[in-house]
Amino acid sequence: MSAAISVTATAPIGTSRGGRLVQSVRPFGRLLVITATVFVLSTILTFALGALSGANPAAAVLGETATPADIARMRHEFGLDVPLWQQYLTWLGNALHGDLGRSWFTTVPVSDSIRTALPVDLSIAGLALVMAVLMGGAAGIAAALSNGGVVDRTVTLVCSAVATVPPFVIGMMLIVVFSVKLGALPSGGYVPLEQDPVEWLRFAILPAAALSIDAAGSLARQLRTSLVGAMRENYVTGAEMRGFSRRRVLFGHVLRNASGPALAVLGMAVPTIIGGAVITEKLFNLPGIAQLALVGAEQGDVPVILGTLLVTVVVVLIASMVVNAVQTALNPVARRAGQPGGAR
Amino acid sequence: MSPQPEQTLWVERLDVTVGAHRRAAVRDVSFTVGRGEAVGLVGESGSGKTLTCRSVLGLLPPGVEIAGGRVRLGSGADEVDLTTARRRTWDKVRGVRLGAVFQDPASYLNPSLTVGHQLAEVLRTQRGLARGPAHARSVELFTEVGLRDPDRVFHQYPHELSGGMLQRVLIALAVSLEPELLIADEATTALDVVVQAEILQLLSRLRRTHDLSLLLVTHDLAVVADTCDRVLVMYGGEIVESGPTEQVLRDPRHPYTRALLAVASIGDWSRRTLEVIPGSPPEAGEELPGCRFAPRCRDAVADCTAEPVWLTTWPDENRSARCLRAEDLESVGGPS
Amino acid sequence: MSTLRRIWTVPSARISIIILLGVAVLVVAGSALAPHDPLEQDPTRMLQGPGSAHWLGTDYLGRDVLSRLMAGTRVSVAGALEAVVVAAALGILPGLASAWSGRTFEWASLRVTDTLMVLPFTVFAIAVVGTLGNGLHQSMVAVGILMSPLFFRVTRAVTLGLRQTQYVEAAELMGASQWWVLRKHIWAKVLPTIAVTTAQAIGSALLLMASLTFLGLGVTPPAPTWGGMLASDLGYLTQQPWAPLFPGLLIMLTVGSLNLIADAIRDQTPDGVRRGWLGRQGTLAVAASSGLTGGGAALAAAPAPQDDVEPELSEEEDARVPAA
Repeated sequence: MSAAISVTATAPIGTSRGGRLVQSVRPFGRLLVITATVFVLSTILTFALGALSGANPAAAVLGETATPADIARMRHEFGLDVPLWQQYLTWLGNALHGDLGRSWFTTVPVSDSIRTALPVDLSIAGLALVMAVLMGGAAGIAAALSNGGVVDRTVTLVCSAVATVPPFVIGMMLIVVFSVKLGALPSGGYVPLEQDPVEWLRFAILPAAALSIDAAGSLARQLRTSLVGAMRENYVTGAEMRGFSRRRVLFGHVLRNASGPALAVLGMAVPTIIGGAVITEKLFNLPGIAQLALVGAEQGDVPVILGTLLVTVVVVLIASMVVNAVQTALNPVARRAGQPGGAR
Repeated sequence: MSPQPEQTLWVERLDVTVGAHRRAAVRDVSFTVGRGEAVGLVGESGSGKTLTCRSVLGLLPPGVEIAGGRVRLGSGADEVDLTTARRRTWDKVRGVRLGAVFQDPASYLNPSLTVGHQLAEVLRTQRGLARGPAHARSVELFTEVGLRDPDRVFHQYPHELSGGMLQRVLIALAVSLEPELLIADEATTALDVVVQAEILQLLSRLRRTHDLSLLLVTHDLAVVADTCDRVLVMYGGEIVESGPTEQVLRDPRHPYTRALLAVASIGDWSRRTLEVIPGSPPEAGEELPGCRFAPRCRDAVADCTAEPVWLTTWPDENRSARCLRAEDLESVGGPS
Repeated sequence: MSTLRRIWTVPSARISIIILLGVAVLVVAGSALAPHDPLEQDPTRMLQGPGSAHWLGTDYLGRDVLSRLMAGTRVSVAGALEAVVVAAALGILPGLASAWSGRTFEWASLRVTDTLMVLPFTVFAIAVVGTLGNGLHQSMVAVGILMSPLFFRVTRAVTLGLRQTQYVEAAELMGASQWWVLRKHIWAKVLPTIAVTTAQAIGSALLLMASLTFLGLGVTPPAPTWGGMLASDLGYLTQQPWAPLFPGLLIMLTVGSLNLIADAIRDQTPDGVRRGWLGRQGTLAVAASSGLTGGGAALAAAPAPQDDVEPELSEEEDARVPAA
């Protein structure tokens, strides 16, 4: 049987092996190793795509008028005539320094273009995440409290229905309702956050809402299940026996323990939101990273394509790490021991 | 049984039914727990002792309800009717006037908070203590319940402590607000014998120092033998015998109690055969004519199953037994 | 198979099967059955609402919406199926293998799966299309690759759980070869899991396909696709605000039916096998949905609402699923 890469799965009774600090740091160490590995693998995959494309800058830029000399020259210019593994390392090395090469077409450094485009996606994704937590959290808690009642069943039904609809359809419906019919919010365009927060909000709220609905639905459903399950646990009885009000039991104890799976769902939603930003960019005409990638793809501009992919991957990785870290911090004991009550 | 002054708990003719068909799992149970008194509620599983206990605590599961009778906490001006209490009343009573410890202490604690935090939380929320004083008082309480190195224990999580230690923690939690009554539901069942004895000693000590009333619910006669002033024996949902512990154990007046003693063989180390009560207890809610123990009783006669059996009482001795033949069996003596 | 018969008895599943049969008919004969030529433009009749001649109205080039929907079903559904086939092919065998073989392979396959799940779907698809060409097959293979972790994780979890059951241990002790054990005991139990996953995967793939075609990737106009129709509707929302409803509803019905069938299959599976599905999945599953858009929900909802999958970073020791 495959043995485990063993990290302290169960803490022995009475002693904390290596002290409390080491115990709380260890899971983060593993997290780091895994993330680093995934990062390296993604860079390889990304680079492989570029290598497989077989496109060359001359063909992309000059089209059919490219002569063999042109091709050779441009290949040399862009460092494409050295062995692949060398190209990979150079590319990776540069990337880690923030240099993602230059666009074959515009010769604008890719990192510059990304620097202007990325904040658009990030700000909207951030807003979407906040909205997802608020809506999903409230719905999940309400459903759990009602437990089998009207609120519960309505929430579950809505969540299931929402899961079958592509977010861009939701986005379009939002546009129809709020822009076309009500005329309250704009249907496209963007103002950066630093420039004018109020205007930013006006433009950002619809795309953020479209992005968040999916995640809010999953979160609500998962939270409800976890909460309902947790409320049957003995420690809830224990807390009630101490005379705590329902509110205190729910927020002080149950949520803390039941939030694990819900956080996981939220964590899974982060890359969805970031990836989904692509669709919303098209829907709402936002100058984000996906537009950059799309244009690059149309033109066959490999550095741009690779650069955008890499940056998006990094963003997702960082977000995942953060969520995982929060999960660990919030609930180290239950996770280490495997289940409430611990291993004894 | 009439209410006495200075009584902490008064359970009067309690009926508890289970399920849609309302089968009676607890029938006409009445008892009191006086101030500072320790009462043991003994019975095997299915006897109704747990449901009685849970009725007092307001923790009946869905489908189970109190169909009749009353449960009252406190006396005089402080009396509270727990049978009809709603959540708000319970929140004021639980912890403050009524505490409880259960079997499997680990599961009654929040696994992701330190035990100290959970005790301090009670003090901060219910008594309004600030962080510092709450911490200090928690450590005091941990010392009082016999935990070695209480400062260290404060920062430990439930899964890091042994069963005995956890039970002490739960006891600390239960008595932290100085309640009038502490209910222990099979609190020592999951512990090994030595630890069990220590916990029982602890409970007795707390009883003295805090003027605490105790209700010990258990299946183990040995537990009540040393700790309880009075004992109530339950069978088939009814109380079949009650009285001062020493007298009931020395001179039982109900055949079931006698049989229980024979099985437990308390103090009788010379016996070599394993005593067993033939047959099995009635299902919860099963309706039987007459005495519910009769089918398994050595001394049963025709009259026993003719009609429901009332409690025979000996008021001067403060004893009672639900047996038609209690008087004449007395002279026959104990088990062979 | 008896499971199919049992599923028929569940009313929600029955409706789903009927809907899906209808979709299947459209896939096979959509263009033939369509009342009008999906590509035929009629400048005199642009952006019309539902009427007698055009039941669902016309689009901005005067093309019949209903016909386009029917014809587009084939491309959309076939594409989704292709993606799922790729995903299953890439995911099932490694999933089985990772539960069976040595530590290194297990760790390596887990890391590869993590990576695939981290890649944000749409950007990856754009990258693939940009580097390897804008064709249906390229984009579907890309989708398939990114969806393979789903099959991988599920197969792995079931196999791990089953491997520890006593009858497998007993068989091994009696000297049965691993191959025999695999064939006789494990395969039969793994199949229902795969069936459930496939149903859900097709649903996810459909949503992903719609997203891709919405962006203009994978299929070239004027060939109709569900996503493509939504994209063109976008520009004319002021005139035809109800237009997205038709393709949207069709997508919802299909995906919903698939999910219902998946639920039905799951409910029909004996509990012993089902318990093997729960438990921790050993991967960087926080990034599990790899940026799938609408599919992300279907992917995250892959286990039923009742089963909270707790994907965590702690892997092997937790990937051990309690024996059924």
